[in-house]
Amino acid sequence: MNTDTDLNFESIVNAYYQPLYRFGYSLAKNEHEAGDLAQQTFFIYAEKGSSLRDKSKVKSWLFTTLYREFLRRRRKEGRMDNYEPEMLEAAGGSVEPHIRRSMDANLAVEALDEVDAIYREPLNLFYLKDLSYKEIAKVLDVPIGTIMSRLSRGKAQLRDIFKRKEAETSENAL
Amino acid sequence: MDREEAKNILQLCRPGVESDLNDPLIAEAFEFLERDSELQIWFEDQQAFDAQICEQLESIKPPADLKASILAGMRAHQKIATAPEPDPDVAPEPFLHATGPSTPKEDKVISKTNKAWWRNPWVGIAALFVFMMIIINAPSRNDTQLAQNDPSLASLPAILPFLSDQIDDMTIFGFDKKDEQAHQLQTFLANSGAPSPRKLCDKLASVPTIGCVTFEFNDAKLSMICFKEGEVFHLITADAADFPEACPKQPQIYEIRDKAFKVWVEGDQLNILTIHGTKNDIPEYI
Repeated sequence: MNTDTDLNFESIVNAYYQPLYRFGYSLAKNEHEAGDLAQQTFFIYAEKGSSLRDKSKVKSWLFTTLYREFLRRRRKEGRMDNYEPEMLEAAGGSVEPHIRRSMDANLAVEALDEVDAIYREPLNLFYLKDLSYKEIAKVLDVPIGTIMSRLSRGKAQLRDIFKRKEAETSENAL
Repeated sequence: MDREEAKNILQLCRPGVESDLNDPLIAEAFEFLERDSELQIWFEDQQAFDAQICEQLESIKPPADLKASILAGMRAHQKIATAPEPDPDVAPEPFLHATGPSTPKEDKVISKTNKAWWRNPWVGIAALFVFMMIIINAPSRNDTQLAQNDPSLASLPAILPFLSDQIDDMTIFGFDKKDEQAHQLQTFLANSGAPSPRKLCDKLASVPTIGCVTFEFNDAKLSMICFKEGEVFHLITADAADFPEACPKQPQIYEIRDKAFKVWVEGDQLNILTIHGTKNDIPEYI
């Protein structure tokens, strides 16, 4: 690896490993798999990223790659058809009990986990703040109008779930 | 723009995200917001909720060693990919640098370790991993069946195990072109200089398609059109001259692990149709 490539790769890792890990976690609900997905994404980048002509699209490319890698794994585990993205949106795991404990009062993660699957990935990407709504549409491979409506409906659902969870937490604390 | 439209658009604006404010659509909704005090109250409430969710998601922290692991793994991978012949006169360095920008001194170290990659434990671990993956993924004789017609075809064409392993990943970076009509994809492939099936049987030509991709195997170009009629199946096309060992005199059917392949030659083109399942799952009209 020459120094230029080394530095370039390191700057990309520096910029995106945390957002990618968070996105991986939001999909897999599993610390180990989230780390694994982030590593695999950079591995694929090292293998095929040189063919990426427009370097300004590295961020979207990495998120797209991680998302597809996640879908690919779920399809392999469950023998699902990777050409049915909406069906696969339901493929996210549930938050592991020990993760729930370790995250204490992270109601957002739990609330997002209860949102309808079709809204979950757009909302996760939206609240992670790394991608614009147009980029989110591209990563999830759906039209911009669809993303806008999913975000709107998903946020309404999330708000209701979050309020209910807050109320439950308050009751349990008393 | 009315209030409901403005609400829908303003929901796309996250607190503290400057690029959202610069989006023309959101900027237009902001102009509306300035004139509507009721909408302003609604928006402040939305922003407070969004900020709460964002803050909690930001509290998810990756493992402390994740970055170092990524960088170390990548450097080991790159070394395998680019390593020159070992130079016995150059002393090896025992470890790669996992983190931190390279200094000129470190560049020299990396140069030396390139020449002695085979003595590096990280590279050894990576090489062992690659070797194990090859062993695990290598098709065993039990997995592979030469199904019918041509007993003289004793060896499996090399392209088939490759397709069996890789075909599910071919579209991981998206299709070169998406279209529901095969003839559109045929035209696209032909215009882009890729192998394109010149003629599809009437029935196949009427099956909806998903898209097409092109790829290479042993420096030969191939194209793949993905069809969907209940199950997804793929038609791979290449120049027959590039795969003489794979060209049967009569159509052949193979089963490799969880996929079935039908291989035939039409004119100067090699066609391979593959589907998840057994030979019984191959559409009868093919």
